[in-house]
Amino acid sequence: MKQLSYQDRIALLREKKIQHTLEKTKQNGYMDGDDYGTVPLPEGYHFETPYNPGEDFLVGPMGNARAFAAFVKNHPLYIDPLEILAGRWADMLPEYRHTKRAYQAYHPYDELKAGQEFYNINAGIEADAHCACDYRIGLALGFGGILEKIRHYRDMHGPEKKEFYDAEELTVLSMQEFIRRHIELAEELLEKETAPELRRTLAMMVETNKKVISEKPETFLEACQWVAWFNTLSRMYDRDGAGFGLDVLLYPYYKADLEAGRITKEDAFFIMANLLLNETHYYQLSGPDTEGRDQTNPLSYMILDAAHALNISANLTVRVHDNIDPEFMKKAVWCLFNDRNGWPRFSGDRGLMNYMKNDGIELADARSRIAVGCNWMAIPGLEYPLNDCVKINVARVFEVAMQEMEQSGSFSTEELFERLSAHLDRAIDITAKGINHHLDYQHEIMPELVMNLMMKDTIEKGEDISVCAKYLTMGVDGVGLGTVADSFAAIEQRIEKEHLLSWEELFEALRTDFAGPAGERIRLMLKSSERYCQGNSLGDKWAQRISAMFAKKVHEYPMPGRRQLVPGWFSWSSTIAFGRAVGATPDGRHARTPVTHGANPNPGFRKDGAATAMATGIARIQTAYGNTCPLQLEMDPKISADEGGLENVERLLRTHIDMGGTLININILDRDKLMAAHKNPMLYPDLVVRVTGFTAYFATLSPEFRQLVVDRFIDGF
Amino acid sequence: MNGLITEIQRGSLHDGPGIRTVVFMKGCNLRCAWCHNPETIFPGEEILFSPEKCIGCGQCAKGCFSGAKVRSGKTVSVEEVLSVIIEDRPYYGPEGGVTVSGGEPAMQADFVCELLSRCRENGIGTAVETNLSFPSETVTRICSLCDLVMCDLKTMDSDLHRRYTGAGNERILENMKKVGSLGIPMLVRTPVIRDVNDAESEIDSIAAFLAEIPSLKCYELLTYHPLGLSKPASEHFKPQAFEKPTREQMKKLAAIAASHHIPVRIDNVVFQEVSK
Repeated sequence: MKQLSYQDRIALLREKKIQHTLEKTKQNGYMDGDDYGTVPLPEGYHFETPYNPGEDFLVGPMGNARAFAAFVKNHPLYIDPLEILAGRWADMLPEYRHTKRAYQAYHPYDELKAGQEFYNINAGIEADAHCACDYRIGLALGFGGILEKIRHYRDMHGPEKKEFYDAEELTVLSMQEFIRRHIELAEELLEKETAPELRRTLAMMVETNKKVISEKPETFLEACQWVAWFNTLSRMYDRDGAGFGLDVLLYPYYKADLEAGRITKEDAFFIMANLLLNETHYYQLSGPDTEGRDQTNPLSYMILDAAHALNISANLTVRVHDNIDPEFMKKAVWCLFNDRNGWPRFSGDRGLMNYMKNDGIELADARSRIAVGCNWMAIPGLEYPLNDCVKINVARVFEVAMQEMEQSGSFSTEELFERLSAHLDRAIDITAKGINHHLDYQHEIMPELVMNLMMKDTIEKGEDISVCAKYLTMGVDGVGLGTVADSFAAIEQRIEKEHLLSWEELFEALRTDFAGPAGERIRLMLKSSERYCQGNSLGDKWAQRISAMFAKKVHEYPMPGRRQLVPGWFSWSSTIAFGRAVGATPDGRHARTPVTHGANPNPGFRKDGAATAMATGIARIQTAYGNTCPLQLEMDPKISADEGGLENVERLLRTHIDMGGTLININILDRDKLMAAHKNPMLYPDLVVRVTGFTAYFATLSPEFRQLVVDRFIDGF
Repeated sequence: MNGLITEIQRGSLHDGPGIRTVVFMKGCNLRCAWCHNPETIFPGEEILFSPEKCIGCGQCAKGCFSGAKVRSGKTVSVEEVLSVIIEDRPYYGPEGGVTVSGGEPAMQADFVCELLSRCRENGIGTAVETNLSFPSETVTRICSLCDLVMCDLKTMDSDLHRRYTGAGNERILENMKKVGSLGIPMLVRTPVIRDVNDAESEIDSIAAFLAEIPSLKCYELLTYHPLGLSKPASEHFKPQAFEKPTREQMKKLAAIAASHHIPVRIDNVVFQEVSK
């Protein structure tokens, strides 16, 4: 019988992945989130959470550690003999943790809730993860070394830190136990397996796991398996998906193995493809070192090749900087163009380095602040930013200002702007209090027991990362910039400049949600006014003014101690939920419909949908403190890569980044395929799209989420 | 100086090389039956109609915002157009730039020349899409300011040309030779219309003519598409519906054109690359 080549196995794994996607959708319904690389749960799976008596939530270091131990023990095992790496996850502890209830019981914040609800703020209280591990720590120690480190520092500290260390110890022991069970399974599979090529890799799997269960990884395969375990178990603990500079960190293992003849390039290629299949962690490729030198290496190319061969959902970000290897940049754009899976995406070094404008940031740390999340960056091991967890619905704040102005009887865009400014002050104050509440108590409620293992000073000091991080630069994102900017622009144009509409008519139209033909006429009048991203329009002017005000207020908000706030514009894909909290707006948006996405303009912002106008418009509203205001771009360039499409797309990306753009989430799509899949997604189970910062299978998205992607689509360039 | 335009399209990939800004001039001297930009034909401001978009608000006189009645045509200064172009300049790179299209740019030659000159002064690449059906002096004046001239050659048969466009092709052929002799790169296109100019002999004759143009950069066959029919209606001009040629037919015609050893494309995709 013909032996399976690595390429054959990758193709089979891809097919299996599509099957898993279909099964997961059947099992869970629409997922509306990251694919995560999960496998379907077996029938009859059940987890009985070991809550404390009388409680229905997890709390405290030992409460969480015991639950994690029970969870991991109960979690199904997964090994596919086609693979070379063991393990995969299917369920996660956050589903059972109920942190909100824990806060309510131990550290309630009822006094903040009314304000949070009023301004529609996602406060971030009880949010988990959203920082980035320094994988160098784990790779240097291995699980055994980490255990020793925990025990060493436990002995050094007094009894008041004992619970923390005991919890960390139990966490690592549980992780090792999970690996041990997989080794047994791998041995069983090896015994049964007859195909020599699968027997070979199963034997390697057994040997590798026997090593990495306690010792530090030393080969490329061991390092990848170690990373796969950490990623899997970190997801299971708290859904953490922050990866690392995949090419930079793993290159020494790859290089050493190749030079020593321990591995072939083909082996390495298959291992890397397997790691990308194993988990959809957010990895950065390329980027500058602490001196600004390019870090692209042969593994950077190989990772793109492996992702291309696998051709599935992936969260790879290329850090574009002044010295990036131009060939690598070209290759990255080619993958985007050719595979049409929404990856890689591109982050902009120049804009991100504005992180230096925050207090006390060291240059080398700013350079190492890498793309590890949906829209966000973090310094591995050093920063606790809670990025992407804290959102202020500025469209709702605007609505409050508008309603207040209506009551006052004095109407003008300047009056409205002043009121927006005052309400933003209140909204930011409520948000900051929420962040402080989280930072004060999160370590008591839900310490990051897994991520702490690879953070700086956590184990050394016996403190949770939410307490001891070197940088507590807390991300605060605004939501609905386009909605608010276009509302101001529409009012200025139609009421103040053209006198086509009165304030009273506007208020009435908003109250009735543009009811009747007269209301609809007003809506269309407002909607056809000068929009954000049209290019030097009233909408652009207001977007820049609003963003500058938001950035200044957030940045200057006085936080206690080392804590500081960092502004950005990002809605995640929650534009639907945020929109539900806001009535009709003067940009012609109907009540309860989605607000604008991230830093993007309203759909239909230009008749020609020019990507260049959008890229320029978004570059000009950057908050410029190192957090992102992403350019989210869906387009069918209707031009082949060979006919200049590649160069043109690369030029578009580069120019946005040169202008200070921070992140480009881009989908190059076939318009007809997208529209057909929107009608019948199950006919296209392999269609991957970038929803926001994450990629997902289109078929797993709800009709509302699919509509968001379709609405953003730019026909042509 | 002022000109009348319908719109400025930013970030185009389909009106010349690289990323381009396209200025659509309003007014055309030809009446091509298959025109896909019928809103650019009438040389003045006009109202275009899309009755299906009417919301029945009964306030037409106060202004329509539903899209049922849309004003087409805007008088703009060279400076105004230039300010939009400059917004896109960072994206042009060595290939891209401005394309003046239409309508027919030569109908507003003074404005177009001024605009092209200002672009050149600002280091911006220039191109024009013209029907070349104008006096040689006018054509030369415009084309001399361009890095690329894009034009149509719809048929070699002057009577047929007159029947479907309202004018014969003699001037066009002369001007093509003239522009070619000046060494200005030319991209010549034939919109292939079923039962009008899709005969193999037609494309063969066109390609034979083009093979003698020294500055021909490429000959492109464009598959007819009925875009013009779906646009808001102008009371001054209505395009006719035609059948689309098949993909196979387009390939066959491209092969015939390629037999003349000239670079050939179909719908922006290379069919044959030949360096002359």
